[in-house]
Amino acid sequence: MRPLKLPALTRRAMLVSAAALPLLQAGPAAAAGNVAETFVDENIHKGLSILSDKKLTLTQRRDQFETLLLGLVDVRRIALFTLGQYRRSAPPEDVEAFVNAFKNYATAAYQSYFAKYTDQTLKVTGSTKRNDTDFIVQTLLVDPNSSQQPSEVDFRVRTDTGKPVLVDVAYQGIWLSLEERDQFVAFLGQNNGNVRTLIAHLSELAVNLGKPTQ
Amino acid sequence: MLSLSAAARGLDLGLQNRQKPANRGFWIVRWGQGLLLGLCGPVLCFMGAGCATTPPSPAANDPYEQTNRDMLKLNAEIDHHFVTPTVRRYRLVVPEGGRRGVHNVLGNLSLPTIFVNDMLQGEVSRAGKSMWRLVLNSTVGIAGIWDPASKIGIPGHGEDFGQTLAVWGVKEGPYLVLPFFGPSNPRDATGLGVDTAMDPTNQIHFKQHLWWAGAREYFTLLDLKSQTYQTVQGIQRNSVDYYSSLRNFYRQFRNEQIRNGHNQAQDLPDF
Repeated sequence: MRPLKLPALTRRAMLVSAAALPLLQAGPAAAAGNVAETFVDENIHKGLSILSDKKLTLTQRRDQFETLLLGLVDVRRIALFTLGQYRRSAPPEDVEAFVNAFKNYATAAYQSYFAKYTDQTLKVTGSTKRNDTDFIVQTLLVDPNSSQQPSEVDFRVRTDTGKPVLVDVAYQGIWLSLEERDQFVAFLGQNNGNVRTLIAHLSELAVNLGKPTQ
Repeated sequence: MLSLSAAARGLDLGLQNRQKPANRGFWIVRWGQGLLLGLCGPVLCFMGAGCATTPPSPAANDPYEQTNRDMLKLNAEIDHHFVTPTVRRYRLVVPEGGRRGVHNVLGNLSLPTIFVNDMLQGEVSRAGKSMWRLVLNSTVGIAGIWDPASKIGIPGHGEDFGQTLAVWGVKEGPYLVLPFFGPSNPRDATGLGVDTAMDPTNQIHFKQHLWWAGAREYFTLLDLKSQTYQTVQGIQRNSVDYYSSLRNFYRQFRNEQIRNGHNQAQDLPDF
């Protein structure tokens, strides 16, 4: 139960030191870790600058932010992951249709929450390497309108496709892809593994998410 | 793209920072789970075996899934008719500052239990922090209404006997949804029963003890529901399968609490 995670500043300091000292430069792995951190850090700032740009209308801000995110996230990889074991058994055309339905659903979910995190800020505090192309970048989320302590938000970054991409996010240690996969697999288990049923359900959800809340 | 919805939903989760007593409130309110499990566990097991129509999920360690789903519906009905209206009024009538004070007092009351569990887990440093929080917040913070300990760098953290059992190597057991109290498992339910037994405020019997205990539970429920109100609404609205979503959130949330923030990177599945 003892927290083994190093204090954020210490982690950061160690990473910076490793990069600065030639003898400690571990080559590609260390450099890639920094790439993941830089990737998250830079794009957070880009996102924040869009969200805080008062010259833009709300719609413009939402659209620009969405475009930015779509460029950072590997939608296909995430969608396939959330299908679990049904990815292998489903017909390829159903899988492709699912990827599109998933993208629409996720976009609708994002838009329904957009306004709620326009005032919040994220700060990169460090990263952990899973392997040479798989990194967890740790950040702190600060909500100026809340008396709560900053929340931990982790981003999973893959670099195996030549450029960094986001594949998952965790809020307070809860990974959303795992939660999505459990939901989808459970749903498919109750519907004879019929991916088309899931696609229809996701499409319906996306429409409902677009409606104003009560 | 999951990260879009994930980030969107995650940022709204409101699963309060694990270092704050918000989590503690979550567990305080469910102290009765331990008692209920003892009474209802065998019945639940029997019902699960007898009326299951949803295929059990071995991978999800959820052999009583159909019963659990029925129980979740029952809880949702209770919430809809009796709890949500009260929570809405509470949020309307009591301002944020007042709700924060209630939350702080409830968190302060749970500190002795947290201290004992810190010690049982061998977390001496964290136990010291719990003790300091109790002393400072009970005095300078006026019975815990304010949280001066956090201001001077002693943030709160949650511990309970369910986590202690996990540290001692006890497995969680099958997933359960208990009447009134929601997601649980045999380990956590047992832990809650033990926490209740060790809570010093439950050992002090005075003239109005029952009123006091009732009021504490009532406000704990209000505090919990008020803090998670938007979160639950969001999850319900976004979920393909709310039951599975809740089950996964509960397990990941508990595992995160048990790890105390220990890095889980190597335990994640490959993409």
